[in-house]
Amino acid sequence: MSFGFDLDPLIQSIQRIGLINPPVLIEKKEGGLMIITGYKRILAHQEMALDKIGCRIMASDDLTPLECLHINLYDNLTVRKLNPVEKGMVLSRLHAWVAQDEILFQYMPLLGLPSHKQTLVLYLKIEPNLDDAIKGALAGGRLSMQSLKTLMDLDPVSTTAVCSLITNINFNINQQAQLVDDIIDISHIERKSIPDILVEDPLKRMISDPHMNNPQKAKAILNHLRCKRLPTVKKAEQIFKKKVSSLQIPKGVQITAPPNFEASRLTLTISFNNGVQLKDKIRYLNELKGLDDLNFPWKMK
Amino acid sequence: MMAFGGNIKQVIVEHDASSNAYVQEVCQRLPQNGLIITEHPEEKTERGGDFDPGKEILHLLEYKGEFLKPCPGTKAYICCGYQILNIGTNCPLDCSYCILQSYFNQPHLRVFVNIRKELEHVLNYIDANPDRVFRIGTGEFTDSLALDPIMRWTDFLLPSFSQRKNVILELKTKTGAVNGLVSAPYRDRIVVSWSLNSPYIAAKEEKGAISIRKRLQKAQQLQSEGFVLGFHFDPLILHSGWKAEYLRTIELLDRYIDPKGIIWISLGSLRFMPQLKQIIQKRHPKTEILNGEFIRGLDGKMRYFRPIRTELYHFIRENLEKWYSSLGLYLCMESDVVWHESMGWSPETSSGLRSYLDRRVKLVFG
Repeated sequence: MSFGFDLDPLIQSIQRIGLINPPVLIEKKEGGLMIITGYKRILAHQEMALDKIGCRIMASDDLTPLECLHINLYDNLTVRKLNPVEKGMVLSRLHAWVAQDEILFQYMPLLGLPSHKQTLVLYLKIEPNLDDAIKGALAGGRLSMQSLKTLMDLDPVSTTAVCSLITNINFNINQQAQLVDDIIDISHIERKSIPDILVEDPLKRMISDPHMNNPQKAKAILNHLRCKRLPTVKKAEQIFKKKVSSLQIPKGVQITAPPNFEASRLTLTISFNNGVQLKDKIRYLNELKGLDDLNFPWKMK
Repeated sequence: MMAFGGNIKQVIVEHDASSNAYVQEVCQRLPQNGLIITEHPEEKTERGGDFDPGKEILHLLEYKGEFLKPCPGTKAYICCGYQILNIGTNCPLDCSYCILQSYFNQPHLRVFVNIRKELEHVLNYIDANPDRVFRIGTGEFTDSLALDPIMRWTDFLLPSFSQRKNVILELKTKTGAVNGLVSAPYRDRIVVSWSLNSPYIAAKEEKGAISIRKRLQKAQQLQSEGFVLGFHFDPLILHSGWKAEYLRTIELLDRYIDPKGIIWISLGSLRFMPQLKQIIQKRHPKTEILNGEFIRGLDGKMRYFRPIRTELYHFIRENLEKWYSSLGLYLCMESDVVWHESMGWSPETSSGLRSYLDRRVKLVFG
């Protein structure tokens, strides 16, 4: 029940103090052995070119498949937190043996998940529906569950396209949410597929621009999509910004608009060392050319 | 007669409501063919998947809270001080923009059958405050009339409110289920209101509702029967050709309605809690209502960017006032600055808007 792991710390631990807990295996009826728990420990031994490992072997009649699953689950939960892909794997396997209500109210809290049917459905889709690259991003925390939740409602090609963009550019969680929201809206409004939008210029150019680093690309992409999604809002922001920067505002003075221009007042902030300096700044502002025209953008000439 | 009753396939009766005589009356009014009546011990039912509102299930239960509650409104914007008489929640109509879609953790058409008993407390409260004007409506959490052929709310609400001088009861609908109103002898203190939109939005986004023309024909019928009318352009929605489309609605108003018999017309633009967006996208994948430029408002709800809202309101107001100058126009949940920019005046505060609407009540009903 492991995905997206780094074997090195385990190898170092085995090299230093040896194997602490042996893996548990079960004899298969048709012959051979199946790992119940300890997959990474066996992999680590292989990696270290060790040809022997001490294991505990159970007879096939000793354990039911659900009991095997329980051993694996609790063995893992006692030593670490499962990542979202692994949680999805656990829930998928439980789904074959356990009633839905039991999964919702006993196992989901155990995995740190809310007992919501919607959440269960989402996690059950992870293992069969996502490719390994997306799973890797999810397991490594580079793709948020919130974004994935929205993306899973899209067609698989679009889901993969957006997930790849997110992981390649390394958008942070807030940026992911905005990216997903805007690109879905634009696709709906312009009646174009998401993969088609992503290969259009200037977006395509931004994504592959060798002169920008990832944070710069993320900012440029989001700004471009926001301009497409909210053209009036963005235009208003630009007009306001241009007007404020055209004023010869002294150092330590700021004029700001409320978020989205929704509240009714603009704000002036003055920082000063003493009363004399404050008076100077007020006197300067009183004489400032162009201030009379300052207003909300749609009211400015 | 049974427009929405005909869609009911199952009735769930909560245990504590099963002995209520009202329940027996309601069940007898429903078409019996294939109807399943279930006595459900507790309200935990979550039916048929994540987004199934269970609109074919009538869920009869007793409501444990206060039946009369102030409209939730918001502190960030100017609100009208409306009171909600909570007769039920969820609605047989299926408008794409409906806020009730986010209440699906409690699905079904839930109707509170202890209303007849509990109404006495509501009326006592109104009588105990003779100097206050109560503007009360039943159409916030459900359509006021869609289920009236089954529930016969009008049988007991009209006589209760009609005889009181410090109250009006507003029944707000998008249906033509007016038989209960017409057959009752009560007119005083009753306002019958229709939600209006552009014919395009009504046809595309208000599933189950009758057309704008039919709404106004029903309103005309009620006006001729002596009822006072109200209208609500809410939610105003930007769409291709919106000006021409809304003008069509105003033209229909002019054709069917005498403006002197209107107590008020409210204007409100589309707004929604952010979490409703995904529900709308899932339940109504072809909807265009989310295409506009929405920003997060001061109350956390998504709403059109301020100059867009102002333009919408200004256009509707200008054209309504060309029709008749005293329509009791007001904005629903807007700021003082938007009032000024679009209406040319402002009540300044929620208290100011309350007084304005209370004066309309006195003007129309005396």
